[in-house]
Amino acid sequence: MSIFPHRPRSAEMAISEHELSGLTRELDDLHESTFPQVRKALDELTANLGHVVAKPSTRRGFFLGAAGAVALGAAAACSGGSSGAPKPSGSAPAVPTSPPAPPETYTGDLKVVALATALENLAVSAYSGALQKAGAGQLGTVPPAVATFIQTAMKQHSDHAQAWNAVLAKAGKPTINDAPLSITQDQVNMLNAATSVPDVAKLALNLENVAAQTYTFATANVTDVGGIMTAATIQPVETMHAAILNFILGQYPIPDSFIGIGNSLKPDMLTVK
Amino acid sequence: MQNKIDEGRFRELLEESDDLQSDAMRTARTGLNDYVEAAREACVSAGRDASRWGTVAAAAGVAGGVMLLSSPTAWAAAGDDVAALQTAAGLENLAVLTYQTALTLPFVGGSSANPVVKAFATKTMGQHSEHAMAFNAAVQRLGGKPQTGSDPKYAEVVKAAVPKLKGAADVIGLAITLEDVAAQTYVKDVGLVTTAELRQLFASVAGVESQHKAILLAVQALVKANQPQLIALPPDIAKLPAAAGSVGFPDSFYPTTMAAPVEEGAIR
Repeated sequence: MSIFPHRPRSAEMAISEHELSGLTRELDDLHESTFPQVRKALDELTANLGHVVAKPSTRRGFFLGAAGAVALGAAAACSGGSSGAPKPSGSAPAVPTSPPAPPETYTGDLKVVALATALENLAVSAYSGALQKAGAGQLGTVPPAVATFIQTAMKQHSDHAQAWNAVLAKAGKPTINDAPLSITQDQVNMLNAATSVPDVAKLALNLENVAAQTYTFATANVTDVGGIMTAATIQPVETMHAAILNFILGQYPIPDSFIGIGNSLKPDMLTVK
Repeated sequence: MQNKIDEGRFRELLEESDDLQSDAMRTARTGLNDYVEAAREACVSAGRDASRWGTVAAAAGVAGGVMLLSSPTAWAAAGDDVAALQTAAGLENLAVLTYQTALTLPFVGGSSANPVVKAFATKTMGQHSEHAMAFNAAVQRLGGKPQTGSDPKYAEVVKAAVPKLKGAADVIGLAITLEDVAAQTYVKDVGLVTTAELRQLFASVAGVESQHKAILLAVQALVKANQPQLIALPPDIAKLPAAAGSVGFPDSFYPTTMAAPVEEGAIR
C-alpha cells in the first residue's frame, strides 16, 4: 500500500537488501518478545469496543477544552454519569442509555483507532515513497544509517497499522488501508518536492511528532484500557523515531521535557465517515 | 574522545531546545494544574451526595476519575495515584543523582569527555529534574508527601555500579537501564492511574525517557564500535554505520515487563 507514486528502484542506496534483511530479522526477533503484551491489550480492546456507546461526548476534557477541540471516545461510562477512568477490560458491558448512534462508520474509541490506522498508513507511505525516491536517485546518495532507519521505522509503523486494523476488523468495521486524513495531500506534496535526505528527514520528523502527540492525546481520550495501553506502548516508539531523526538532522535530539498535544491529529481530520 | 563539535552551534541548539521545552512545560503545567484542581475540588466535596457530584463534575468538565474520589473505594484509587506519582518521582530523583555523579567523572563531565555526551548528560539531568518536580507537585496538591528520595530498588543498582564506572560505555549502560525502567514504568502507569489527565502526564514523560534511551543506545553502539568520533552534532551521517539508524528503537511496541511496581517508591 502506498499513497505515493511508485518509481523504479536502482542501486543508489548505500546498503544492500541482504544487510537490511538481516537487520530486519534481528528486529523481528526482538519485536516478537514484546508483541504478546500488545496483542492482549488489543484483544481486550476489541472485546470491549462492542459495548462502547457511539455517542459523541459533551463533557469538556481539560486538555481538549484548552485546545478548543472536540472530545473523543465518549463511552457509556461517561454519558451515564459514572467515571471517565479506564474501563477495565473484561468488565461487564455498559448498558446504553443514550439515543441511537449517529450513522458514522467509526465512532467513539473506534474513531480514534481509525485515525491512528490512517496516520500509521501515512507514515508507511511516506517512508516507502522516500525509499522509492532514493532508489531512483532523486535524493542523492542515501547514507546506510538513513536507509536502515527508514526501513526499520517503516516496518514498525506497518506493525502499528496492522494492530489497529485488526481491532477494526474484529469490531466488524472496514479496515483502513490508505491515509484518509486532511493532512495527507500536503504530505504527498512535500514528499514529491523533496530532493535530499534532509528534506525527507524533516517531513518524517513532522509525521513522527504528530503521531507521538496524537497518541499522547489518545491516552487521555480513549475510554478502554486496552486501547489506552496500545496507544501508550506505541507513543514512545514514535518519539524514539523522532529523536533519531533530530540527530540525523543535526538538531538536539530531545528538545522537550514533556511530549505535548498541540500538534496532535483530531478526529475531525479523519476524512472517511 | 575526539572533539568534533561546533560548540557555539551546540549552545545555540541547546538554547533553541530550551525555548521549545519551555513551551511544552507550560502545556504540561496547565494540564497538571487542571488535574490537581479537579482532584482538590473532589476532595473538598467528598461528603456530598453522589448524584450532586455527577452534576457538578459534569458541569465543570471534570474527568471521570474525579467522581471516583467521592467514594471510599475511590480514595484507595487516589492513593494508588499518589503512590504511582511518588514512585515516579523516586525514579526521577535517582536519575538526577546518577547523571550528577556521572558528570563528576572525567570521561563524562571532565576534560576527556566528548562534549556532546557531556551536554546530553547535563540537559537530560535537567529534564529529569523537571519530571520529578511535576510528579511531586501533583503528589503535594493531592495531599501526599513529596518523594525527595530515590527509588529504593534501583538506588542499590546505582550504588553497586558507580565504583565500577571506568569509561563512558559503563555510564551509558547504567543510564540506559534507568531510562528504560522509567519509560516502562510510566507506560504501565498510563493504564493504572484513575484520571485522563494523569494518564496524559505519564505518557508525556514516558515519551521523553524513551527518547533518552534511543539516543543512549545509538551512542552506546558507536562507543562499542570504537567510533566515538562519530558522536557529534551535526553527525557525519555518511560515515555512521548502518546499524546506527535502527539500534535506538528495537521494539515496535514499548515493553512494560521491567516496570517498577506502583508501590516501589511510595511513602506514607
